[in-house]
Amino acid sequence: MAGEQVEKRVKYKSSVKDPGTPGFLRIKEGMLLFVPNDPKSDSKLKVQTQNITQKFTKEGSNKPPWLNLTIKQLLGRSHIFEFENYPDMHACRDFITALGKSDEEPKKAAVLTSTEQLSIKELEIRFKLLRENSELQRLHKQFVESKVLTEDEFWATRKKLLGKDSIRKSKQQLGLKSMMVSGIKPSTDGRTNRVTFNLTPEIIFQIFAEKPAVRQAFINYVPSKMTEKDFWTKYFRAEYLYSTKNTAVAAAEAAEDEELAVFLKPDEILARETRQKIRRVDPTLDMEADEGDDYSHLMDHGIQRDGTMDVVEPQNDQFKRSLLQDLNRHAAVVLEGRSIDVDSEDTRIVAEALTRVKQVSKGDGETTKDANQERLERMSRVAGMEDLQAPQNFPLAPLSIKDPRDYFESQQGNVVNVPGVAKGLKRNVHEAYGLLKESIVEIRATGLSDPLIKPEVSFEVFSSLTRTISTAKNIIGKNPRECFLDRLPKSTKDEVLHHWTSIQELPRHFWSSYPITTPYLHTKVGKLKDAMSNTYSKLDAMKESVQSDLRHQVSLLVRPMQQALDAAFQHYEADLQRRTAKSSGGERPNGYV
Amino acid sequence: MIFKIEDVTVYFPYDNIYPEQYEYMVELKRTLDAKGHCLLEMPTGTGKTIALLSLITSYRLSRPDSPIKLVYCTRTVHEMEKTLAELKVLHDYQVLHLGTQAKILAIGLSSRKNLCVNTKVLAAENRDSVDAACRKRTASWVRALSTENPNIELCDYFENYEKAAENALLPPGVYTLEDLRAFGKNRGWCPYFLARHMVQFANVIVYSYQYLLDPKVAGIISKELQKESVVVFDEAHNIDNVCIEALSVSVRRVTLEGANRNLNKIREEIDSVQLVGRSKATDAGRLRAEYNRLVEGLALRGDLSGGDQWLANPALPHDILKEAVPGNIRRAEHFVHVLRRLLQYLGVRLDTENVEKESPVSFVSSLNSQAGIEQKTLKFCYDRLQSLMLTLEITDTDEFLPIQTVCDFATLVGTYARGFSIIIEPYDERMPHIPDPILQLSCHDASLAIKPVFDRFQSVVITSGTLSPIDLYPRLLSFTPVVSRSFKMSMTRDCICPMVLTRGSDQLPVSTKFDMRSDPGVVRNYGKLLVEMVSIVPDGVVCFFVSYSYMDGIIATWNETGILKEIMQQKLVFIETQDVVETTLALDNYRRACDCGRGAVFFSVARGKVAEGIDFDRHYGRLVVMYGVPFQYTLSKILLARLEYLRDTFQIKEGDFLTFDALRQAAQCVGRVIRSKADYGMMIFADKRYSRHDKRSKLPGWILSHLRDAHLNLSTDMAIHIAREFLRKMAQPYDKTGTMGRKTLLTQEDLEKMAETGVQDMAY
Repeated sequence: MAGEQVEKRVKYKSSVKDPGTPGFLRIKEGMLLFVPNDPKSDSKLKVQTQNITQKFTKEGSNKPPWLNLTIKQLLGRSHIFEFENYPDMHACRDFITALGKSDEEPKKAAVLTSTEQLSIKELEIRFKLLRENSELQRLHKQFVESKVLTEDEFWATRKKLLGKDSIRKSKQQLGLKSMMVSGIKPSTDGRTNRVTFNLTPEIIFQIFAEKPAVRQAFINYVPSKMTEKDFWTKYFRAEYLYSTKNTAVAAAEAAEDEELAVFLKPDEILARETRQKIRRVDPTLDMEADEGDDYSHLMDHGIQRDGTMDVVEPQNDQFKRSLLQDLNRHAAVVLEGRSIDVDSEDTRIVAEALTRVKQVSKGDGETTKDANQERLERMSRVAGMEDLQAPQNFPLAPLSIKDPRDYFESQQGNVVNVPGVAKGLKRNVHEAYGLLKESIVEIRATGLSDPLIKPEVSFEVFSSLTRTISTAKNIIGKNPRECFLDRLPKSTKDEVLHHWTSIQELPRHFWSSYPITTPYLHTKVGKLKDAMSNTYSKLDAMKESVQSDLRHQVSLLVRPMQQALDAAFQHYEADLQRRTAKSSGGERPNGYV
Repeated sequence: MIFKIEDVTVYFPYDNIYPEQYEYMVELKRTLDAKGHCLLEMPTGTGKTIALLSLITSYRLSRPDSPIKLVYCTRTVHEMEKTLAELKVLHDYQVLHLGTQAKILAIGLSSRKNLCVNTKVLAAENRDSVDAACRKRTASWVRALSTENPNIELCDYFENYEKAAENALLPPGVYTLEDLRAFGKNRGWCPYFLARHMVQFANVIVYSYQYLLDPKVAGIISKELQKESVVVFDEAHNIDNVCIEALSVSVRRVTLEGANRNLNKIREEIDSVQLVGRSKATDAGRLRAEYNRLVEGLALRGDLSGGDQWLANPALPHDILKEAVPGNIRRAEHFVHVLRRLLQYLGVRLDTENVEKESPVSFVSSLNSQAGIEQKTLKFCYDRLQSLMLTLEITDTDEFLPIQTVCDFATLVGTYARGFSIIIEPYDERMPHIPDPILQLSCHDASLAIKPVFDRFQSVVITSGTLSPIDLYPRLLSFTPVVSRSFKMSMTRDCICPMVLTRGSDQLPVSTKFDMRSDPGVVRNYGKLLVEMVSIVPDGVVCFFVSYSYMDGIIATWNETGILKEIMQQKLVFIETQDVVETTLALDNYRRACDCGRGAVFFSVARGKVAEGIDFDRHYGRLVVMYGVPFQYTLSKILLARLEYLRDTFQIKEGDFLTFDALRQAAQCVGRVIRSKADYGMMIFADKRYSRHDKRSKLPGWILSHLRDAHLNLSTDMAIHIAREFLRKMAQPYDKTGTMGRKTLLTQEDLEKMAETGVQDMAY
């Protein structure tokens, strides 16, 4: 609720008789503000919203919509606001009521937001993530549905995943698919002559980007002249006329139907853009300049028909558009990428946003000096012969990686190549646990802080875990490419990987529950401990079950996982003992360890 | 690095040099010493341009008493820009080491369209209208008129330039077109006229071939160059074609119609001048003054001010006799009558059902008997028209193009008796259903256009990556080179991988032979090859087809069969179209797609504009696929006439010439993948005909030496396998200086050692 505010046009009356000062009422969290229209008026008001009681006139009564606010701190002084209408007043009233409530019961509100007020959008994202990631789904099933973890706890550790989409968007422009829009084939029902086109926002975006004339027509015609559906029907009618290559029919239809003609005519906006772009083209491939220099082929000079230049049917027909042009245009648009940041279903908004972007880039076109400079620099750089001179160092752009795990797996080769990593690894594991222990001690000394465990520490723990298992994949095989895991039977391999992920999951929750401050956490830890010991025994069982020649390696694989679990168990036991000792020794009122 | 070649100290802007670059410089120096012409073939990707520039500029520095001028001819404007960019690097280096005495003035020269900075003039659509718009503001009579009438619009840049007069000079430096424009804008001087003026002072001029070869342009731009110039034709493998094109003209129906309209307009102008003349003495005097001038002979070209020039005479200067204009066309009305008769005659000749082929001599004699126009009259048509248009003060020259074309034709046909033929075709062979009669005067003798260049300048260097067979060019251009050499490429590693693909995965042969090219199996196999290749080759892939129509057809088929979609899953697709602007943008986008890592395929056409001069070096081209053998259309009448001429004059067999021509185009297409030895790329010749020895052997040596016997007869899956292996090998680090005793990269020390022991010891 923080940051929310309500603003309404009101008249402020200090008493019922007062004719009132017109102005604005702005209610924010903890603050109520009245700004009169007349800046000279002294009836400016600014009060705290704590402990407000309100009276208001009922709708339907003859009285105007009044809201009477009494603030207790100011010795019950009341303020009357006359609203323009009832809905405005109700909005303000509800808002103030909500404010009051949130003041009274902050804790309850917090709980509300976390569970019940979970928006549908968030749920959708969660479902989508689960659908896309089978591993996550399995974990979710295993822990949430078996009640080891609650839904919220499960997702709390994955906030990044939830928020990721929005983060990614700001980092990297989303690309477009290479497929041509003209590649959309209509579906027919087979019986009648009807065809159906399925338009998605992406297709519409592409059509608008590739054909500015269509975009402009959309802005002009929809919805004032025709409905969106009619518009697209007309568009595809025009496309159909193109595809028949029957220019006579196209010309005839265009003559009759002025809106259809828009689609059939050559795109003027495009032509304008082209003229603009050609001025900024790299001079080392500017073939248009060539044409301007070629006096040998001055009208009818040079050799016309010696077979070197071949003839294609004359292209001057204005209702003719070639596939080649379409392909070039399409590729150019794909290369440009999704230049707008509008994620709307509304076609009109998309169209307008695109037009705006184009206008902006046109504005940029006027300040071409920088671009020119850059072009010249690039030209002189490319002019040199690369292997005759010292190498140039170009700046690096950071990689934005879609799926970290893909990246992680592709990097394993590199890890293996570094000598001494295997040796250093064990120490790393120990160091990691050392760090973890230290931080627990620290917490014990200084009490609770936020976050409970230092991010660096938890990072250490998990990265060492990850590395151990991943390098084990490689180190053991003779050929670094040949993954050890691949040699295991498929079921065992899956099991190992699954345990690995669940061991990443469980201790994370386990450690984050410490120190145990509430009974809730207490039960949670207990549940987690059970689940972990369950996994532990499963690991043991798996170790036994594999073939003898693989057993050693499997146990190597499993050891760090078990170590992680052991550490958790130890801590649990120690904590439990201390608890029982304390509870017999005397109550600690706040439950802190 | 700085080293000595005999008595010349060479300043080379890099720390290392390839051995072949060094040898190239040695040969070049010998040519300059001998003041003769030379022919040098060196593979692409070995730094020809920089070797050439650095030797010639260094040579100039070592002979301060007789400084030579470098005239560097490129085929295209973008190659011009590239050359100037390299020259900038070199110039900076020389100035760094030698100080201000190494300063030179180097300019690129182009048309008004590319140099103009007047936004109002630039708004004109094409080159010709830009020229006309410029003339409208800069012609001497327009400027004279504007002193009386302030409403006449002039070009401020030109006015400022004229005002500055002798002081309008460029400070030393290297100027690309962009630099010239920027300088002009800054000073308020017209860059075009400034650059043209600076041609006589510049040490290095970079411009397009036609500024030397095409008499129409050369007559204006290049007439003041001194004999002590070194002329370089870079990428000169097509120079014979440029030469014959420069002297060829054709006439169509539209040309005649336009010319008739032009004549009407001229007639009106003449009448109005005469009408006004009765009341106004000055105007009447104009035509009379012209008549007097013509009686005295054509002292015309010398006394024109900068703005008043049209394109020059289409015939070569040494072929035009210095005599007076014949009496029957001295009067303007008479000249118009002669032209009318000429148009009428041409119109009759165009009305033919059959293809006719004639020699200029018989054409002129039948013209004389049927229209009463003598050969001498024809010869002067061009000059007479130009004089008339100047007298009538016509500025919108772009509208008078048709009549100029007809006069060019007349002058050419009246001047040359041999080496040309006239071919009249009622329709294009390939589209017999569309009547489009055309009368073509086509030149067959490439040596005609280039002869004045060889005669005028002390050294002419013809160089390219593909000049094989190297003995053919001196014959085609009829000159005797003092040095004629073909250099091999010393490879640090096998960085090119040519392959001949003869079959698809289904073992069916692939070819663009006429009877096979539309076979669905061939089209599918070609498509599958690309689908497989785009999935394994990183960054850029370039495909060349034999013609636009073939490319158009095959892409349409691929689109229908879903092959295009499969390709697009891997890479973006860009295509060369006949619209130059669109192609340029497509290329620009292609490069950006390769730069950003998305990867792209570029579809292009052999003999097209892209194949002519765009480099697909480094990541811009890791693979080139040449679909088919790019033969010329062998049924073309002009080509047949040319082949006949070649057989009769040089005893070159038709088949040999066609194969030579096709293979030089193919080599040109695939040769653009390599820029340096650090670069690498694959070349696939996808046609079964390449496996035949007589075709293959025409490829340049540097490609052949990498073409292994095992790669001569591949199917798609084998080619994929080889490509994978090759790419993996190329990804490994390697020793740039060369291994196993073969030095492929020389340092200063190596060169010094070599100077002691002699070049012969160089191991490669």
